[in-house]
Amino acid sequence: MKCDDCLNLLEEFVDGELAGDGLEQVNNHLVICQRCSSQLESMTAEMEVYARYDRELEIAPSMWQAIAARTVSESRAVDSHSPRGFSEWFTGLFTAPRFRYAFSGALAVAVIAVVVGVMYLRTHQQQPKPIDVVAGTHDLVTPPDNTGDMTPPRQSDVIKPAAGSDISQVKVAANRNPRVMSKAPDDPGVLYSDVAYSELAERDTAEHIKQSENLLRSLRSLQATEDDSEIDVTYEKAMSRRLLSENEVLRQDAETAGKFPVKELLKDLEPFLTEIANLPDKTTATQLRELKDRVQKTEIVAALVSYDD
Amino acid sequence: MKRLAQAVSLTGQPEAFAGSVMNSSSDLVARTRQGEQDAFRLIFERYSRPVLSFIYDMVGNREVAEDLTQETFVRAYRGLGALREEAKLSTWLFGIAKNVARESLRSRARTDQHLDLDHEAVLDLSDREPVPVNQLLSKELNALIERSLAALDDDKRLVFTLKIFQQCSYEEIAEITGFSISKLKTDLHRARAEMRKRISPYVRSWS
Repeated sequence: MKCDDCLNLLEEFVDGELAGDGLEQVNNHLVICQRCSSQLESMTAEMEVYARYDRELEIAPSMWQAIAARTVSESRAVDSHSPRGFSEWFTGLFTAPRFRYAFSGALAVAVIAVVVGVMYLRTHQQQPKPIDVVAGTHDLVTPPDNTGDMTPPRQSDVIKPAAGSDISQVKVAANRNPRVMSKAPDDPGVLYSDVAYSELAERDTAEHIKQSENLLRSLRSLQATEDDSEIDVTYEKAMSRRLLSENEVLRQDAETAGKFPVKELLKDLEPFLTEIANLPDKTTATQLRELKDRVQKTEIVAALVSYDD
Repeated sequence: MKRLAQAVSLTGQPEAFAGSVMNSSSDLVARTRQGEQDAFRLIFERYSRPVLSFIYDMVGNREVAEDLTQETFVRAYRGLGALREEAKLSTWLFGIAKNVARESLRSRARTDQHLDLDHEAVLDLSDREPVPVNQLLSKELNALIERSLAALDDDKRLVFTLKIFQQCSYEEIAEITGFSISKLKTDLHRARAEMRKRISPYVRSWS
């Protein structure tokens, strides 16, 4: 290789971009050529100068806060355009400019018609009627032995068939509006419950419990060599904070729906999530070991696993 | 249940909590796409410093660089769905930063960008003999490099900064800039020569 060829390749050589035959030839040439070697030294010295360049820049915490504020507000805006639940859709009909007055008027007429119809039926019926509801006006049915009471029961109310009433009548009502009532398959203490809870909240709860289980498992797997060594648990803390807020919502939902075993499980889980969320970012091996011991002793992971099963 | 709707699904990622190794770029991108703000914060923490440095080298103004870094990450968040190869997150971020910096440069007169260099006041080396680099004060050296960078044209400064300070490969620089390899090699060679010409009067080893 001639010096001109070597010098032409020297920048690529310094940049680490040279490979194959070119690299080998330049290496061989540098061993025997003083001029090219000295040029290489000069370029290396330049790189050392650039490596000393310090812009003295700091990332201010306010920068992330500003970014988070902008991105979170955009996420919310996206959420508001995403598919909504029935109640939000229904509420939205009253606020949509096109339907605000027309829909409200139509609904008022419909409600009046239904009320008149019900009153007419009450005054004329001689035989017990199947339990029925007006779809869209309230979620649960009026008990068959309390037909005079027009107050919609609370969501947590448990409806039991009255003595002598026909259970098939209840089933007919449920079939007419399957969202209204269904048999709760996993809780013998509650005859009927809201399907909306069963399908949505149970799925969320299962997901939540799975994530909590993974979090506790990962905590157990964290290792430290010495008692005074520090372990970075920043991620576990962040995850725990998120799970903690979820836990509160799900526990309340479970309580409202009469899912007491689930409620108790979430209640047992909560102190661990709180404790992890409040750990210092760099926790000591001793702190971690104490927490791990409590996790072990209370068998909370086993309880979470049994829910999955 | 809205809060739960944004929950991170870990289905298929049973090892996701197994320590810090889980925070690969691909993993962080996936989790951010699922709405996990903390994952995006980790992306920010990992890349904010190089992005800020890169933008600062391009625009030469601290406050502008901070604003543009913020803008870069907001655009990245919006465009994360379009990122095809999660492993090339840094290249993609530098590409956004480059666009943001160039837009800013276009909208301002170049002279305005560099007249208020932070180290302008301390750079008064014109009557000094070249000295070994370790005898230059840190602020003097920083000011020297900043002024020399500012004197490069945009393309050369872009390529030089990505290669010398951000240690990008030629292939990555080509992806970020859209330049051909031959153009970026030429620009880099000329940028090196110009920088050498401006710095060598003050640094003995370069003389």
